[in-house]
Amino acid sequence: MMGRSGWFPLVCGLLTAAALALVGSNVAVIAVRGLGSLPACLTQPEVRFALGLSVKSACISTALCFLLAAPTAYTLTHAAFPGRRAAEVVLELTMSLPYIVLGLSMLILFSSPAGKQLKELGFPVVFHQNGVILAQLVVNLPFAVRLCAAAFRGVDRKLECVAGLLGASPARRFFTVLLPLCKNALISAVILVWSRALGEFGATLMLVGVTRMKTETLPGSIYLAVSTNNLDAALASAFLLLVISALSLITANLLSRTGRQRSRYG
Amino acid sequence: MDKQPSQQVLRLENVTVRRGNFLLNQISFSVRAGEIVAILGRTGAGKTLLLETIAGFSRPEAGQVFCRGTDVHQTPLHRRNIGYLYQDFSLFPHMTAAANIGYGLKLRRLPREMIRARVEEMAGRFGICRILEQYPGTLSGGEQQRVALARALMLQTPLLLLDEPFSALDPVTREGLYRLLREVCGEFQCAVVLVTHDFREAAALSHRVGVLLEGSLRGIVPADSLFDAPWDEETRRFLGLEPVKKE
Repeated sequence: MMGRSGWFPLVCGLLTAAALALVGSNVAVIAVRGLGSLPACLTQPEVRFALGLSVKSACISTALCFLLAAPTAYTLTHAAFPGRRAAEVVLELTMSLPYIVLGLSMLILFSSPAGKQLKELGFPVVFHQNGVILAQLVVNLPFAVRLCAAAFRGVDRKLECVAGLLGASPARRFFTVLLPLCKNALISAVILVWSRALGEFGATLMLVGVTRMKTETLPGSIYLAVSTNNLDAALASAFLLLVISALSLITANLLSRTGRQRSRYG
Repeated sequence: MDKQPSQQVLRLENVTVRRGNFLLNQISFSVRAGEIVAILGRTGAGKTLLLETIAGFSRPEAGQVFCRGTDVHQTPLHRRNIGYLYQDFSLFPHMTAAANIGYGLKLRRLPREMIRARVEEMAGRFGICRILEQYPGTLSGGEQQRVALARALMLQTPLLLLDEPFSALDPVTREGLYRLLREVCGEFQCAVVLVTHDFREAAALSHRVGVLLEGSLRGIVPADSLFDAPWDEETRRFLGLEPVKKE
């Protein structure tokens, strides 16, 4: 017979089952139905184009993202300057904004005379593939800064002080102590950001729209397929995104586990 | 008063540092080349803050710290030429013992063979040749201590700061390291400031001993007269001495 104290774990267990059913059923639908549609859809040039553009733009935007995020996170965690808190708030705010709002602001920014000037100089953004990369970059940058900052904060500051007293300049401390010590955390951050870039839709839709075989990413492909009542193609693209996300998650988890094991000896 | 001011390596002039509610108040003393000065104090007396201020990690509210005539707080971290040994050794966990010891030499772009030779020579002195290819996580406390000390001494910096470096070691290892430290510092003419709460360690290792209580330096005396010096009542209590009888 269940005691009076047994009700709480039971209720939590039932709610957990409900939550898992809610999330899991969605994953199951994509996995089961998408897998069936995949072989036929992979032969379609639209799906292959979307996959290619998504992977290419995610790779470029992720590289640019960390090129900016790592120095930004370093500055925010290592330098005392007026307005640091304000800078952190701006980044946090951007992270919590709906991405469609970010897309709208980018659309206004790049439709301005400055944006048109940029187009004349050979770098079109609005309704162009460059815009896909830029949208992914702006959406993911605050997230990447946060991940980098967390990784940097996880390194014992004394190690950098010791390196400094041994003669390491700030750049040498960064490259010989800080980066190697948070290498695994940064690699898993890169994977997570890349995976998010692959699934970015709201800001991209606002800035470049979704044009078949021009600015069509995998999420855009799902949107277009559903709009044209081609559910099989939508499910196939969704399945591709599911597989890529799952692989990213597994790799990131494996890397962070390796990092934890090594840190026991640190 | 210093007998040979030309050999003076470290000078603190009325250094006052605040950290939260704690105040390190008007600290002044100097250390000569080859001299070991121990600063004794209870936990929370401000010993580590004093060392961090000397190293330039904490900026004083007032006063100045000079290392070989240069204001430490006006010198970039990588040009201060100070060795620092933390209580937890702070070895780079991603580098072997050899790479830790040779880190400073590598930064100075010395040829690889020369670095190896000097690391092996220093490791020989500290008896750690067989562990040079091991990572810090696989070393015992005593071995980590020797690696950290070898790394700090490798550059033969004029000033070495030691933050309770021997507190986690067994008595035999500790005695051996005292001897080694005195020998190497004498040879390199390195000025050493050591903070500790261990009277025996302070007396055994240093030439002079200072007592730091509640952020105030009560005086610095020759190590052999630590228990005979005319200390104030609080310092006498800290040192476990009988109160002075009033006549």
